[in-house]
Amino acid sequence: MSEFALVLSSLPALLRGAEITLAASALGVVLGVMVGVALAVLREAGGRALRLLVRFYVSFARGTPLFIQILVLFFVLPAIGLDIPKFHAGVIALSLNSGAYVSEMIRGGLTAVPRGQIEAARALAMPTPLIWRHIVLPQVFALILPPLTVEFIALVKASALLSVIGVVELTRTAQQIVAATFQPVGIWITTGMLYFVMCFALAALTRRVERATLVYRLR
Amino acid sequence: MSFDFSVIAHGLPIFAKGLVNTVLFCSVAIVGGLPLASALALARLSRRGIFRLPATGFVEALRNTPFLVQVFLLYFALPALGIRLGATTAGLVALTAYAGAYFAEAIRGAILSVPRGQLESGRALGMPYLRAVRRIVAPQMMGYLLPALTNQMIGVIKDSAVLSVITVSDMAMAAQQVLGETFAPVESYVMVAVLYWVLTAAVAALMMQLERRFAAPATGPLRLLDPVPTLTSER
Repeated sequence: MSEFALVLSSLPALLRGAEITLAASALGVVLGVMVGVALAVLREAGGRALRLLVRFYVSFARGTPLFIQILVLFFVLPAIGLDIPKFHAGVIALSLNSGAYVSEMIRGGLTAVPRGQIEAARALAMPTPLIWRHIVLPQVFALILPPLTVEFIALVKASALLSVIGVVELTRTAQQIVAATFQPVGIWITTGMLYFVMCFALAALTRRVERATLVYRLR
Repeated sequence: MSFDFSVIAHGLPIFAKGLVNTVLFCSVAIVGGLPLASALALARLSRRGIFRLPATGFVEALRNTPFLVQVFLLYFALPALGIRLGATTAGLVALTAYAGAYFAEAIRGAILSVPRGQLESGRALGMPYLRAVRRIVAPQMMGYLLPALTNQMIGVIKDSAVLSVITVSDMAMAAQQVLGETFAPVESYVMVAVLYWVLTAAVAALMMQLERRFAAPATGPLRLLDPVPTLTSER
């Protein structure tokens, strides 16, 4: 088959792969935000030991290759008796990794919430969980929304690593087609272009979100 | 589940060799990436399309696709076009190009973080162009450049682990080899994770020293507008 015909006939499969890539990264960001918030709250509200543990976790997750983290998790999960599908394991790996990055964004965002607001809430006898929910986190989220979209882009690219544990996302799909046809050129170029389109489209989203939240960052 | 430390003792020479190779590969990529990045950054800032457009295309293509796909393209697709590179060569070329693209953005951002008027004032006072760049622009951009560069260097070290999928014998490959001999995946991978951690921490500490030595406190509108850094490092 000519390269062009092969690309054309493979396009539906590649697009399905891209769908899985987007799904894994979107889930990774959403769950990553939850992990990140949990880490940030533990760091701010927890005792000394907890704070140290969070710092250790964040430093480890950010200082080691995601590639290795995915493999560790892939082998640890069955060893502790958790037998879950590869896609799930992959999403867990992405979100545990992403959570560390998100928690650092939140830490940056927290410094931008004026101390006086928290003191005012305390003076009104607001309980700490409510202060977090109604006063601190909404403002922090407006601040970290632009970097969160950047995080989404990072995960779209990072999720290519899930192919090594056999999640059939875009990269794995391309590998399978190449293995079956021995025609790598068109398929890999198309795969690269599909990633490029996804990331580029999301970058446009970043710029929009940046404009929309500008008012919070100027204060 | 228990952690078997004898696996680590057994694999120590293999891990050590992998560590040396990873340090070597990353050094080559970082040292080669810096001049490439400077050229790319200047080209992207150029007013002339023949410089700006190819540089922009190159940087954006590399920054918006996964490193793994770039490596596959270089290692599996190039031979079909008649260019056959060995695994290590292909890996090094990919890692250097990748470092160049990411460093270029750090350098470009750093140059843009210094207000244009600074250079213009220097020139107006009769300073030659290159001296004004060296004495006025360069010191002021260090506060922006060094932290961004640290991030990207750590990104290069972490992403270099991907090269093991095309059989480059780096630290991640060492884990696979130890795993093959001991059938202990968790121990092998946790061990190399710790080694990567030590490596990235060492680089971060080293760069912090450089920052303390060379970086003037950052000024300009960038710091005021952007309390949350939007540059995230790669995985």
